[in-house]
Amino acid sequence: MAVVCQGLTKQYGHGSNTFQALRGLDLTVATGELVMLVGPSGCGKTTLVSILSAVIEPDAGECRVLGQDLIAMTPDEKTRFRRTHVGFVFQTFNLLPALSLAENVAVPLFIAGRHRRTALAAAEQLLDRVGLAGRADAKPGELSGGQQQRVAIARALVHGPSLVVCDEPTSNLDHRNGQEMMKLLRDTALAANRTVIVVTHDPRILGYADRVVHMDDGRIVTAPAPSSSERVGG
Amino acid sequence: MIRLALEMLIGDRVKALGLMLGVAFTAFLVTFAAGYFAGFMTNGFALITENSAADVWVMDPAVMSVEATINVTDAALNRVRAVPGVARAWPMLLADVEARFPNGRFQTFQLVGLDDVTLAGLPDSASPDVAARLRTPDAVVVASGGTSGKLGTPAQLRDQWPYDGAHLNVPLRPLAAGDQVLVNGLRVRVAAQARVLERFPPRPLMYTGIANARRLLPPERQRPTFVLVRARDGVSSRQLAQRIERQTGLRARPRDAFKADTVRWYLVNSEDVGDMTAMLMLAMVVGFGVAGIMLYMFSYENLRQYAVFKAMGASGRQLVGMVLAQAGGVAVLATGIGLGLCSLAGSAVAASGHPFRMLWFAPVLGAGGVLLISLTAALISVRPLLKLSPGEVFAGR
Repeated sequence: MAVVCQGLTKQYGHGSNTFQALRGLDLTVATGELVMLVGPSGCGKTTLVSILSAVIEPDAGECRVLGQDLIAMTPDEKTRFRRTHVGFVFQTFNLLPALSLAENVAVPLFIAGRHRRTALAAAEQLLDRVGLAGRADAKPGELSGGQQQRVAIARALVHGPSLVVCDEPTSNLDHRNGQEMMKLLRDTALAANRTVIVVTHDPRILGYADRVVHMDDGRIVTAPAPSSSERVGG
Repeated sequence: MIRLALEMLIGDRVKALGLMLGVAFTAFLVTFAAGYFAGFMTNGFALITENSAADVWVMDPAVMSVEATINVTDAALNRVRAVPGVARAWPMLLADVEARFPNGRFQTFQLVGLDDVTLAGLPDSASPDVAARLRTPDAVVVASGGTSGKLGTPAQLRDQWPYDGAHLNVPLRPLAAGDQVLVNGLRVRVAAQARVLERFPPRPLMYTGIANARRLLPPERQRPTFVLVRARDGVSSRQLAQRIERQTGLRARPRDAFKADTVRWYLVNSEDVGDMTAMLMLAMVVGFGVAGIMLYMFSYENLRQYAVFKAMGASGRQLVGMVLAQAGGVAVLATGIGLGLCSLAGSAVAASGHPFRMLWFAPVLGAGGVLLISLTAALISVRPLLKLSPGEVFAGR
């Protein structure tokens, strides 16, 4: 299993301003599975993926990701965990406008201390795979939203992470680009038996999931077992 | 990562240019201010500079500068001459005198009494012909000393030495050879108007032989102010000064040390310098504040990008390195631009007669100040960066 979490709770704020984001949540995700987390705003989706990607800590519960106990990790170990094992795709792409596409894609490799030349070569290969061959020197501002999200996918995969976390990856894309982006994500991410967790509000892309996990009020409402599938298309 | 940081810096050209110009302006401002200050101080010890033949200046033990002086005894000259290692010693007399122009206007001059034999210290621009004329009775050489419009004498003969009272508001022309003025009621003849190093504070100057100076001054002011000393070959100024002090009880300072004394004296005693320093400090604080805030704002506006790096596993050390690289990049480039502009502007203002000197400490102060403020701003910027949660980049946050 890529993800095994039990009894996760997370609360924000203090006193009368507290907000209970997660209330004893259990989740299991199999290796190589594409899971989508859906649910209303404030139901705890983002908090959950933040915990799974070692960005924040839960208040209580257990969480093993890729066989490692996130709860027991020091902050430095979490930083190394994210650097090595996690790829991120964000809603707003978060590409650096000053950098070329190849440099944007190579950022995780730069962070990992890889030599610039080899990092850029790897980035160009990924750009080829996401359909942006020959655009390595372009700047993000020269691309459409769909193309920018392709760059973001390439960036999420360039360092070979075992877990890819996508936060509302299609919400800034039109229907066609959203579909293309999910197809690309499935084709590239799952090809290497990676685990992909997608937070989304977009019902049009649910068909690309191996499993859809519904959340509400900090709990999982419906979650088919990892072996079954709620996949409706793709 | 350092390269990424610098690319981020120059990626937003408008912002980077604004930041660069802001910091460059600070470097310019600080360096220019320091250059101006150096210019004023250089003018402050212009008398020492003019008398380059003197290796050691000997004075009353209480005298700390060329600006505030009291005279030594007449015997001091011979006592100094008796010190081993002294090749030559000659007197110099300083005094403030009131000079009355032919139309009745008066002006305070600093009277500089030079050694009658050598006329050492006579401005370099005074020609040998002028030196010869200065040896005639009652002759003086005048100089503006950094002032303007204060050496005017009536242009019309009818306004000179009138019998019907002062002719104050009449057309004037610059004093020239042959003109006469009254000093302490005694008539002197202008041998020439010389160009000399400007003074701080600016003041008109009147050079003459020490014998003529004594004629013009009341008895208690007729003694020499300084004894100027030329050291024998192979004798160091410092050693000679120490020997003179031991042997005469007078204060003796090598030329450069006396310049430094004079600067120190101005820093401690001159209200003008105090006001000037306060203004310069204000300018620096404003400049530093602007530069610091701009640098901080730049880092602050990039917080989201740093959050992305952090989410992807960038360590705190890497992020701090990036911010420091950006601050350092800005500081180095902007300092270069600022110092370059300062050199150009300084050359222009110095050529137009303003007291600007790009001494070594001016660019050091400018560069050091900008580096300091850049580093400070960077370190302040680092704090929110290190406290930043990488979760900020998620849509739901």
